[in-house]
Amino acid sequence: MVLNIENLTGGYSRTAVIHDISFNIKSGEIVGLIGLNGAGKSTTIKHILGLLNPHAGHIEVNGTRIGEDTEEYRRALAYIPESPILYEELTLNEHINMTAMAYGLDEATAWERADKLLKMFRLEEKGRMFPTHFSKGMKQKVMLICAFIVEPDLYIIDEPFLGLDPLGIESLIELMVSEREDGRSILMSTHILSTAERYCDRYVILDDGKLLISGTLDELRTGMNMPGASLDELYLSLTGGARSNESTHS
Amino acid sequence: MKAPIHKSRIEDDIRIRAYYSKYIFNSHFLIFLTIAGGVFLYSLLGMLSAMEPNIYLDIIAALLMSIVLLPKYRSLLKEADVLFLPPYEKYMKTYFSYMNRYSFWLSAYLPITGLIISLLLLRVGHPGWVMVLFVGMSVLLYIFAFLIRRDAVNTPMDRNSVILMLILIHFISLFSILVNPLFILLGLLLIGGLYFLVQKKQHKNLDWPKIIDHEASMKQKYYQYVSMFTNVRLSSKQYKRRKYFDALLKQPPPGRFNKNHMYEYLFRRTFLRDDDLPMIILRLLMIFSIVIIWVDAPVLSVIVLLFALYVIVLQMSQLYTAQAYLLWPKVWPVEREYIQESYIRFSHKVILMIALLLAVIFIFLHPVYFYIAAVFPLWGFALNSYFSKNVYKKERLLSD
Repeated sequence: MVLNIENLTGGYSRTAVIHDISFNIKSGEIVGLIGLNGAGKSTTIKHILGLLNPHAGHIEVNGTRIGEDTEEYRRALAYIPESPILYEELTLNEHINMTAMAYGLDEATAWERADKLLKMFRLEEKGRMFPTHFSKGMKQKVMLICAFIVEPDLYIIDEPFLGLDPLGIESLIELMVSEREDGRSILMSTHILSTAERYCDRYVILDDGKLLISGTLDELRTGMNMPGASLDELYLSLTGGARSNESTHS
Repeated sequence: MKAPIHKSRIEDDIRIRAYYSKYIFNSHFLIFLTIAGGVFLYSLLGMLSAMEPNIYLDIIAALLMSIVLLPKYRSLLKEADVLFLPPYEKYMKTYFSYMNRYSFWLSAYLPITGLIISLLLLRVGHPGWVMVLFVGMSVLLYIFAFLIRRDAVNTPMDRNSVILMLILIHFISLFSILVNPLFILLGLLLIGGLYFLVQKKQHKNLDWPKIIDHEASMKQKYYQYVSMFTNVRLSSKQYKRRKYFDALLKQPPPGRFNKNHMYEYLFRRTFLRDDDLPMIILRLLMIFSIVIIWVDAPVLSVIVLLFALYVIVLQMSQLYTAQAYLLWPKVWPVEREYIQESYIRFSHKVILMIALLLAVIFIFLHPVYFYIAAVFPLWGFALNSYFSKNVYKKERLLSD
């Protein structure tokens, strides 16, 4: 198991935002983390990255908890945030160098991987430029390149398609599928359910900080008694249902 | 009931200034100021008592005053005001009259200090009534300079040109009084002329984006000033490539392409590409070098250079704080201690180079006391070690 989350309760302060969440990701799986705005997706991701401390429960990456061996835990992860976070003082090439040094890649390996990715995302001519002057989509591509040169066991991608042009989306999907074939796993938070339905192996659906349901598309259909339903329909039914239950109880 | 907007903004600004003043005027700095101020006054009075009246003292006094008689105008407007306040422009007289008063007194400490030093210089060879005239003209110039700088914001005039014109007029006005008091008329004519020129060029309505940009730039300048003494979290950092530094930013050799050296790789770039930091350090080095050349006294020079190193070490620590709170060091599989160790390594190198440069200047000016110069690298090392630890301590407290 690459990622194992058990009974995770947590948030930014003493007030919990997510409650008793459990799910896992196996090697070579793409898992979609799905939920409305404020459902708890980003909070869950921040807990996995170790940026927040759980109030209860625990998270293991490759069987290691962050407190046991922080470096080993983090080496297995690469993160692509929803909004690009870049160093204003570094060029694109220097971002790649920094990432390579952080993850212990030697220069030759890092640049062999980076050159392919730079070409794929059509940034091969921009290496000496400062990415902070790039467009939003180009900045996102820099984040993708820095994450994909690492080739970690688990990618955590927050809203991967946001700001990317159609060619960028196609390249990213191609990359994600190829990484899955190489046995690497991806946890992807997204609102674009049609794409998630096509490429994710399993889904974790959150609402109001709670896990509503998780499983493959077929398992969701069976569990919700909606044979043949699309992910969109299942999701609307689930979250709509959760809202109606809430209003009935209140 | 909610406080009027001018009241809350002035209170906020005072609160920010009080907050940072606490850090700037800490006990170390106050001790230094007292010693440096005492030594400066003692040596200045000693020097003046032995001096005959001469034109250079008049030039220095007039030049000093022309530089300090530049009150800043703070409108305390915010970026969002451009959306909400223009429809209420004609009802904002109260707001702007409060801002006028606040801005007018905000910069008053500088001309008062300048005037004290100038009057000490003018005691040599000038009768009391000329000094009174000098003070009166300085007050008048301060008032006009304030009105001109305030109104010039709402004109197409370039800010630097206005400052340059003011310095020139101040100097001519004050120096000519010292040459012949009747020349006061020339000064009045010049400053009055500039005032009318600015009035003539004023836009009919307020140029809101320009006034707001001006305020943002004044605020940024204040934070830059504060950042010379302490860390400023509100200051937005900007970077630019300086091609002439690229030679110092080469790809690390294979043996250094690893996590042990990655943050030094980053700090080197953060430092050399920082929009202000290298130039602030260069300016500080130039100012302190001019001061020690001017005072030409070994003991005072040592105190001034030790203080120079203190200010530069404080400046350097903003490099560490700029990196320590970012996301990536918290996500990358690299222990946080590496950032601290790299910062220590890098800042020690920079401080050592600066300390050696100051030592060379000191030895050049006072070759007899060359051995005292050894104190500069040692002081730089001790200060940098002490302040780095303080930065970590603050970071640990914040992350807890």
